[in-house]
Amino acid sequence: MKHRKEEDLAVPMSSMIDIVFLLLIYFIITAKDEVSEAHLAVNLPAPGRSKAGDTKPQLLEIEVYEGQYSLRGVFLSLDNLELALRRFRDPELTVIVKVSVQARARDLVAVLDLCQGQGLNKLNVVTLR
Amino acid sequence: MKRRHDEDLQTPITAMIDIVFQLIIYFVVTSSVDKDIVDESIRLAEASHAPAVETSDPRTVIININAKGRVNVALQPINNMQQLENLLLSMKVQSGSSVPVLIRCDGSTRFDHVDQVMQRAAKVGLYRVRIAAMVDE
Repeated sequence: MKHRKEEDLAVPMSSMIDIVFLLLIYFIITAKDEVSEAHLAVNLPAPGRSKAGDTKPQLLEIEVYEGQYSLRGVFLSLDNLELALRRFRDPELTVIVKVSVQARARDLVAVLDLCQGQGLNKLNVVTLR
Repeated sequence: MKRRHDEDLQTPITAMIDIVFQLIIYFVVTSSVDKDIVDESIRLAEASHAPAVETSDPRTVIININAKGRVNVALQPINNMQQLENLLLSMKVQSGSSVPVLIRCDGSTRFDHVDQVMQRAAKVGLYRVRIAAMVDE
């Protein structure tokens, strides 16, 4: 009887270790899933404030339409926009992203993402009507 | 020798069942906690440059906008924008004007739906909002 009890105590270890490994794998997988989201911080204009008043010397305007982008009035593809933005790697530069109501959220996110990639963090989103 | 082998095979089952029950309880608890924050039907737009967030402020107000422009907060549908404005206002009163607002919009949502939400946020004085994107590797 005593012999049997000793065996009973010794055996579950291997299965427990198996399950501990499973738990470990589960936590690793879920932890990766949670961090795969990026949050792009933007500033919104105050309602009713005219923009003509504030003239900032360092200002970059990007317009976003459905699948189309323009930088300072010149239409560019997304790849060319990225190349063009490389010349403006100044973290103090204020970027105004004007978005058409027809545009899709992914167009805006693509532009905001490119700006962040070039270290431009002062992003303002304005709606084009 | 054969007898011992039989015992080895039989013993782990009770311990395994215990742990399986614990796992089930764990999954049930975590899934219900997650669900009231994340709307699984939203497919975020992809971003390749921005860094992934590691910790987010627990005060964050998460506003979900699906592909058709339907808005919900914590899976509670928001049918008119006044309702959203009241909600944002009460969050601002509760946690101050630094309360983070996160907009989780589907990649194919038209911007006018996003704009409506942004306008209400700006109207109550929450000028800094965040737009969620999926980091692709």
